[in-house]
Amino acid sequence: MVRLSDLPSDEQAHLTGKALPPLGPPVWTTPIEPLKNMRLALITTAGLHLRGDPLFEFADGTYRPIPNHTAPRDIIMSHSSVNFDRTGFSEDINLVFPIDRFRELLDQGMLGSLADFHYSFMGAGLEPQAFEKGAAQVAGLLKQDQVDAVLLTPV
Amino acid sequence: MSALGYYLERAGIATTGISLVREHTAQLRPPRSLWVSFPLGRPLGIPNDAEFQHAVIKAALELFEEASGPVLRDYPIDAPEVAIESAPACPVNFQRQSGSWQDRLASELSLTSPWYEIGLDKRAGRTLVGASTSHIHEILQRFGEDLDAHRIPADLKWFKASIEDAKTYYLEALSAEPGRHNARQLYRKLWHETELGRALGLFHAMFMDHPQRAGFARILLPRDAQSSIDDTMN
Repeated sequence: MVRLSDLPSDEQAHLTGKALPPLGPPVWTTPIEPLKNMRLALITTAGLHLRGDPLFEFADGTYRPIPNHTAPRDIIMSHSSVNFDRTGFSEDINLVFPIDRFRELLDQGMLGSLADFHYSFMGAGLEPQAFEKGAAQVAGLLKQDQVDAVLLTPV
Repeated sequence: MSALGYYLERAGIATTGISLVREHTAQLRPPRSLWVSFPLGRPLGIPNDAEFQHAVIKAALELFEEASGPVLRDYPIDAPEVAIESAPACPVNFQRQSGSWQDRLASELSLTSPWYEIGLDKRAGRTLVGASTSHIHEILQRFGEDLDAHRIPADLKWFKASIEDAKTYYLEALSAEPGRHNARQLYRKLWHETELGRALGLFHAMFMDHPQRAGFARILLPRDAQSSIDDTMN
């Protein structure tokens, strides 16, 4: 089990040291289809991208597309933070980017379809508001792809 | 993470997300979040455990059934750390090397590389090494040249990617044996028993002393290693 209280004191201080006011008034989009009819995408802030794509910079609000049929061995990570464990992700891509689990749900008829493209940001070194522009661009791309909903995974 | 959920939802895309730091999510108030007690770096809990991962995903997707939000639900199941005594032993017998930094890192690489290759086979050819444009031999050679000259690397973009590759190479070698590993044990080995760990500790100290480059130091060592590694550097 890991809670903030279980982390070293310097790690706790870092994670709780920022005041993070709400980003704005509450937002809510009600899905219009049941899950079994939805088209889903994965979005992570783990700093993932295809081998050969530009690496994420030290602080970087941009994003990288990950085609749905990308093989796990073609995906690498260039995240600036050194304060999280990478060894689990080395063992299993699904620990951070659960693409195989999504394919299994699709095969079981639990999901309608998967997006043609998933996306990764790199969540380090910037205030939350720095992701507003990239998120708006990705929202447009998701709509072009007829995506209904997204599962977001941090790292 | 929370910010992306907020902005995507505002643009009309329904979102649900996993939260690793409950305090941040509670402040930023994205529409739907499932807080999990798992370690940073492991949002789905346990590697190579599809059943466990499916249960987490199911709980996150169930938040789409909520009528209104923001919703922040606590996932009730922990992902216990693998006990050190039941984790596979480290296959590499690291020893303090002597000579120049170039020699020390080259000698250590000759011990490590067979296990990296074994780990590569275990993972069916998948590796996270590949951020840098350079091969591991060139990476460690250039690290050694800079340390022997006591200078910080000139090309920071190359250095950032190469640090990532060097650490990943070692960790994938250290975890080459089949079985579930204890991540803290692997990192402790990396930082406290390897010449690479000592090299990165020395780079960290050099960056910290540099008037314009101190900010770079924080991507060299995790916060919990910065103080403890000092004793092993020299």
